[in-house]
Amino acid sequence: MVKFYASTDNYPYPFPAVTLAYFLRYPNPYSTHVVSTDTISRHYDPETQKLTTIRLHLKRSKLPSAVLRLVPRSILGASASGDTQSFILEKSIVDIKNGRMDTESQNLEWRGVLSVVERQSFIRPMSAAQEDAKIFQGMEGAARRHGFLSFGPDAKVEDTCESTDVHSSVTLHSHIGEKWKKKRNAEDSTDDDEQPQKMGFFKSWSTASLQRSIEMIGLKRARRSQPNAKEGMKVVLERMREGGLVAVLEGMRRDREAILGGHPHAFSNRRPPNDDDE
Amino acid sequence: MSASLAPECNDVKERYDNCFLKWYSESDPHEYLRGSATTDDCEKLFKQYEQCLTKVLKDKGIDKMLNEAREDNKDNDAEHMHPVSCFPIFLDHPDLS
Repeated sequence: MVKFYASTDNYPYPFPAVTLAYFLRYPNPYSTHVVSTDTISRHYDPETQKLTTIRLHLKRSKLPSAVLRLVPRSILGASASGDTQSFILEKSIVDIKNGRMDTESQNLEWRGVLSVVERQSFIRPMSAAQEDAKIFQGMEGAARRHGFLSFGPDAKVEDTCESTDVHSSVTLHSHIGEKWKKKRNAEDSTDDDEQPQKMGFFKSWSTASLQRSIEMIGLKRARRSQPNAKEGMKVVLERMREGGLVAVLEGMRRDREAILGGHPHAFSNRRPPNDDDE
Repeated sequence: MSASLAPECNDVKERYDNCFLKWYSESDPHEYLRGSATTDDCEKLFKQYEQCLTKVLKDKGIDKMLNEAREDNKDNDAEHMHPVSCFPIFLDHPDLS
């Protein structure tokens, strides 16, 4: 049983600005639960001009009470109130030549209980061929297209008619109660301890219905957090438009101070309680 | 800038992040975003950052989790990180309809 959520959207900003905002999206006023972001590998292939980045995020979250009813806190490593932390692994590939960025984020822990994979594709709507054709419509348009993004101290993202399409999906898959990592366990003779197994506290549930319940909880949460993730990106893009990279970095600094100082930005009040963002 | 998981790596992370942002977005020559970059100029700083972070990931046992996730994902990547032309989502792309 797999649950799936998908949406299509559009940012009224040029593709390069959106890719940059993706790298700079934490911290933002809607992401006060993101504790840290580290780049663990990055590779640029000059031939294909693709940039591959792998990052590790640490997020604070509150487990939904529905999950706590199904799986005891002790097993999930959460505090009495359900507070927990989770690592998210994010992979992204920017293909500047073809005007698209593909990203994939997933949880690193408790993948047996619930694996959540979030994918996003940011796509420059116009094909390269169309763009080339447009150049003949006048140099003015071409200059605008190529000069739309600059990040000197006074630089701003200029208003152009460019926008970026976004396709998002979240795939949720619970393996709870299954022996889903047989191979690894075979190598490891003490296996069963870390295996999310069907144990006494939910023996009365059928494996399938338990998995379905957990996937449903994850799906609801994904639906609720998607708008916040999008708002966060918008804040970063807006700062970029207003004051370029300098404004983005200054905004990040303020957001980080607010998080460290325990005074989350006013925006964060809009987050629904128990929410977990992407 | 976002914080590092390891406070002791914050300084070197910030130096690397700044370098990367400059490389990625610099207006002139605006290389990467124009598709004419020849190299990632920040490799040296990344090595320092990586050195700091690797130790922390190891100490906290995160490296093991990362390796497992990467193993699990090898097949997924082939399936999902592929080029434009065969991406099913494009079926509803205005240019192709």
